Amino acid sequence: MRGSWSLGRRMLAASAALALLVCAGLAILVVAITRLQDATSRERRSKDVTVATLSLEKVVLDLDAGVRGFVISGKPRLLAPWTDGLHQLPRRIAVLQRLVRDDRAETRRVHDLVELINSYESEFAEPMITLAGTTPAAVRNQPQLVSSQGDPRIGAIRRRFDALLTVDRRRASVNTASVRRETRRALVVGATVFGAAIVLILLFGLYLARAVAQPIREVAGGATRLAGGDLSARMEESGPGEVGTLTRAFNAMASSLEQSHDELQSQYERVRKSDQLKTELVSMVAHEFRTPLTSILGFTNVMRKRTLGPEQRAQYLGIVEDQARRLAGLIDDFLDVQRIEDGRLELKQELVDVGQLLREEARAFAVQTARHSLELDLPAEELPVYGDPSRLLQVLGNLISNAIKYSPDGGQVELVGARRSDVVYVGVRDHGIGISPELQDRIFTKFFRGDASAQGISGTGLGLALARDIVEAHGGRMGFSSTLNRGSTFWVELPTADRADHAQ
Amino acid sequence: MRELLRVVLDGGYEFDEAADGLAALEVARRRRPDLVILDVMLPGTGGIAVLEAMRADPRLAPVPVVVVTAWPQMEEEAAEAGASRFFMKPFEPDAMKDAVEELLAR
Repeated sequence: MRGSWSLGRRMLAASAALALLVCAGLAILVVAITRLQDATSRERRSKDVTVATLSLEKVVLDLDAGVRGFVISGKPRLLAPWTDGLHQLPRRIAVLQRLVRDDRAETRRVHDLVELINSYESEFAEPMITLAGTTPAAVRNQPQLVSSQGDPRIGAIRRRFDALLTVDRRRASVNTASVRRETRRALVVGATVFGAAIVLILLFGLYLARAVAQPIREVAGGATRLAGGDLSARMEESGPGEVGTLTRAFNAMASSLEQSHDELQSQYERVRKSDQLKTELVSMVAHEFRTPLTSILGFTNVMRKRTLGPEQRAQYLGIVEDQARRLAGLIDDFLDVQRIEDGRLELKQELVDVGQLLREEARAFAVQTARHSLELDLPAEELPVYGDPSRLLQVLGNLISNAIKYSPDGGQVELVGARRSDVVYVGVRDHGIGISPELQDRIFTKFFRGDASAQGISGTGLGLALARDIVEAHGGRMGFSSTLNRGSTFWVELPTADRADHAQ
Repeated sequence: MRELLRVVLDGGYEFDEAADGLAALEVARRRRPDLVILDVMLPGTGGIAVLEAMRADPRLAPVPVVVVTAWPQMEEEAAEAGASRFFMKPFEPDAMKDAVEELLAR
């Protein structure tokens, strides 16, 4: 499975193959050089043999010249070449014999030659010298005596030398040719090995570039795109071993970067929204707190500075009291919100008749508004739930006051209480301004007031959010339906007391 | 607020009231008042738009407008839109009275 080989293993394998090939080439080169050396030493030996042969021949010719000179002239001075030759002869023979030691045919030829020289020396030269020494005149007057005995012997010896030299010359020329051949071969092998090594190194470099540099360049390109802010940059997850791992790791990194970027983005959006909400809250708080304060301070100021009749006095005090209560209610609402957000809302668990609560609230609000008529629609029997009566009153009060606030032209407000299977249903219906569809899904958001501020309807934007939290804390549900300019119906469903009994 | 202003400015003035910006503009165009007291609730909501609409209307442009708000940062915005006076809630009733009288005396 080459495909699964890691990059490191591939490179190692490629290097090993390259090293092996270069070694093989070098081995061939070494063989070629060794053969060249052999050929060269053979050639040198042939030349040495030729030189040694020629030297020996010269010594032998010197011997002969000495013998003949002495015999013909009778002068002992002319015998010097003979004496010198005799002196040199054994060494020359030994040199030649040593050179041809490894060649049996040549050894035999040299042996025969040496035999001839020895017999020339012992059978012709020495008797001649002795004869010339004792009776010089007898020899001097018969020069044919020398030539008849010496010439054939010397001729035979020279022929032997010639034969030897011919063989050597032939060998030398063969060896020279072989040296030339081996030289050429070694050169060719060396150049081939060198060229092959260069080609292989280039191929190896190309492979490295393709397998390593190319993917790294791609990863670097991807990283540059990432750094430039393009978080969708991804790489093809391919390539051998480490490169594949690298691309996969790169893609994983890019994905996680993109994911955390998106998370941060959405978190930032949430923070920005809540920040905006906080700003709205601050302006709301400023307005909602300062407006009643303005009335309270303003009227107390007027009452302190002016002389007023008892009727006016009572009217102003009533306004001051109302505004102070409004402030107190606001503070309660803020605290409730805080309590619910912290999970600290404590509810009493009492048996409560929701019908009774509705009747109480209807009476209380009827006094406050002259323009609205509150219509109660309740069954004869009780509507029992378990819960906190004051909190449930707060919810009903909020729904009724909303119905009145958001129908500024007055009209009917219908309050319906009913028992539906195992829930107690309460509906509050008005014929007021309604809620536009695009605002409907936000009306339970704390501090959200839709167009109410612009329309001059006061409020904190907390009432509905609080009411729903309280209903849900009682195990109930709350909802609404509304048509713009036609009115709204807000409803609450609470589990009946007997169902709550079963549950407990 | 409106009750308070009626009491504070108890000096023989005639009053008209409006609960929101559109109604205020409608009343102002119909009656052409001598002075307008504008309660501006929140930045970016109707109040300042009413003031701007008045200043754009040649008949209403010279009418002095007193801006009352709970929002301190509104002062600059109100001045740019052409408010004659600016009051932060809660305001001193006498100061309001003096300002109204001074503006009407011009």
